[in-house]
Amino acid sequence: MADSKEPMKSKSRGRRVKDAAKGVLYGMAAHGHVTAALRTRMYLEHLFMFITLGDMLGVPVIPPYYSLKILPYAVPNIKSWKQRVFRERDFTDQVF
Amino acid sequence: MVDFLNTPFLWVVATLALYVVAYWGYGKWIDRNVWRSDAKRATPAHMYMDGVEYFPTSRYVLWGYQFKSVAALGPILGPFIGVTFGWLPALLWIIGGNFFIGWLQDYGSMMLSVRKEGRSFGPITYEFTGPRGRTNLLAFVLFYLIILSAAFIALIATFWDSKAFKGTTFVPTIGILFAGLLCGQLLYRWKVNVFVVTGIGLALIVFSLYLGPLLPVVLPWGQWNLAVWAAICVVILYVAAILPTPTFIQPTNYLAFFPAVAAVILILVGALATPFTGVTVQLPAGPFLSDPQGLLGPLWPILFVAIACGAISGWHSLVSSSSSSKQLDIETDALPVGGGAMLSEGMLALASLIAYMVLAPTFVFGVPGDPNNPAHGNTASWPVGAALLVSKILGVDAANIYLTAFFGLVLIVYALTVQALVTRFFRLVAAETWSEGRFRLLGNKHVSTIVGLGIPWGFAVTGSWWALWLYFGGANQLLAGLAIMLITIHLARVRAPTRYSLIPGIFMVVTTLAALMWQTSTFLYSVLLYTQGDKSWVLRNVRGGIQADPNYILVAVFINAVFVVIGAALFLVGLSMAIRLFRSYRSSVVEARAPVAADGGTPQK
Repeated sequence: MADSKEPMKSKSRGRRVKDAAKGVLYGMAAHGHVTAALRTRMYLEHLFMFITLGDMLGVPVIPPYYSLKILPYAVPNIKSWKQRVFRERDFTDQVF
Repeated sequence: MVDFLNTPFLWVVATLALYVVAYWGYGKWIDRNVWRSDAKRATPAHMYMDGVEYFPTSRYVLWGYQFKSVAALGPILGPFIGVTFGWLPALLWIIGGNFFIGWLQDYGSMMLSVRKEGRSFGPITYEFTGPRGRTNLLAFVLFYLIILSAAFIALIATFWDSKAFKGTTFVPTIGILFAGLLCGQLLYRWKVNVFVVTGIGLALIVFSLYLGPLLPVVLPWGQWNLAVWAAICVVILYVAAILPTPTFIQPTNYLAFFPAVAAVILILVGALATPFTGVTVQLPAGPFLSDPQGLLGPLWPILFVAIACGAISGWHSLVSSSSSSKQLDIETDALPVGGGAMLSEGMLALASLIAYMVLAPTFVFGVPGDPNNPAHGNTASWPVGAALLVSKILGVDAANIYLTAFFGLVLIVYALTVQALVTRFFRLVAAETWSEGRFRLLGNKHVSTIVGLGIPWGFAVTGSWWALWLYFGGANQLLAGLAIMLITIHLARVRAPTRYSLIPGIFMVVTTLAALMWQTSTFLYSVLLYTQGDKSWVLRNVRGGIQADPNYILVAVFINAVFVVIGAALFLVGLSMAIRLFRSYRSSVVEARAPVAADGGTPQK
């Protein structure tokens, strides 16, 4: 991680080797699965946002009464949702 | 002590030393002088951080991820065909390919994507060559995925059917798949600790390996066994592509990782220990300018497409620009992640080559005309060679059934796990291509998966595996050439030195187009010979079951004709893409050479 750069310098050599080995093992065995799980969550969140805000976008999915009730939970995610939905995507993005 | 010079030890050490020079010498130089990577420049992972697709990740994690994503059957099976021309040319291509082209492509693809805000090759191709170029790429990738699937399905079926394993690998394969399903449930549904789940999964794999020799599965249909094995493989892949990834593909790939990595480490240690274990090189060094068995053709261009992923691979460029580039913490990490992972894959190719080198020539090459040991038919050589290398270290017999079953299982899971992801990728590409319009049925999840597996199954059970492999290698290497050209266009546009990527790019494009043309011509020549009454060429390109029955001669001709069409389509789509890229490169060079306006605005025309 980016924020782990500086502390890395102060770590002992042994600790750095251990962290590197752990990182490699995690990367080989689980990183792809973790990102795939995150992506699945992302699509579910898109669905949630769409259901909640659909009425305001002209696609009435649930009645506005319920939309307004869950709106406070959706508001904090609007920015990242907008960022992801508007991002250019291509078939070559889906290799892994 | 055996003759030291006659063991693979020195070759292993020399190759590893050259990889070190490739990374710390040439690699660092290119990184500093061509790409001028800058640790202070913001990467897409920081610019667009969303915690899902874009987030900074440690270089060690990314290296492990990149290596696992690119390592598959290519570096293992490629050298099997490569040694036909002698092990020396095969080794030289593995070294030269890695040194001058392979790492440069993986690293360059990653850097290109990083400099283009984390975009993958589709949008970059669109930017450089326009909408037709991007459609061209899409068509090429669809063809490529079908041929890749056909080659992998054919090989998985061949491994299950191989006499070398005596049916011992099927039960362990099913064991891994079952363990994957169970571990997926344990992890995601019952929230069991990941270490406990890993322990249970590994115990199940060991148990299934133990069961393999006790419950051998040998089919009774002779020459047609292969079609049944391929059908079983297709059913497994269909389930893998349809089910949600956390249910099946993810946990299975996770468990398969452990035996796969253990096997590579064991082989490399075995190769380094050969001066003490007494295992010597048996195969001829070559070079043979043409396949001595008269099947594959000339050393150039065939060797360069036969050994694909171990020297350079187009698949890597898709992986590098798809997800790794979005998670690169700092630009200077691209060299260890992209370049480092490729050179590590080169080590896997080296280990595989050594495993073939220590076997008897008749075992590896087969005997032309012998139905029990046909030319290029013993694809199970790798596990036997690997077992020979490590048996003395482990203190067991080289013919130990559990040892060969273990390496056989590794060979199968390398193919099966990557093929599951490829099938899924095909489904997603099909959904993207045919989501609307007249052919929207093809975008349906089930229909696209059935098409994406049905056509490859047809090829796998009819065409010879080496013909499929060479088409796959040709398409894969051509994709690599096209990726290098994209890199070169970018470098030209930013006025960076281009010759270090342009020369490899031209070499790869010309070589792979020549290989595709050679293959297509071979099939066409076979059909033409048939019209003149000579059946032998038509028959040598098809499977044993079709060869043996004279009633199927027209089927054999049809298969040859289909291969002509496939080869011609790959060649034409690839050529069209290459022309677009070379044109784009030329205009980029002209634009870059034009004098820049004093205010830094539009250059003078």
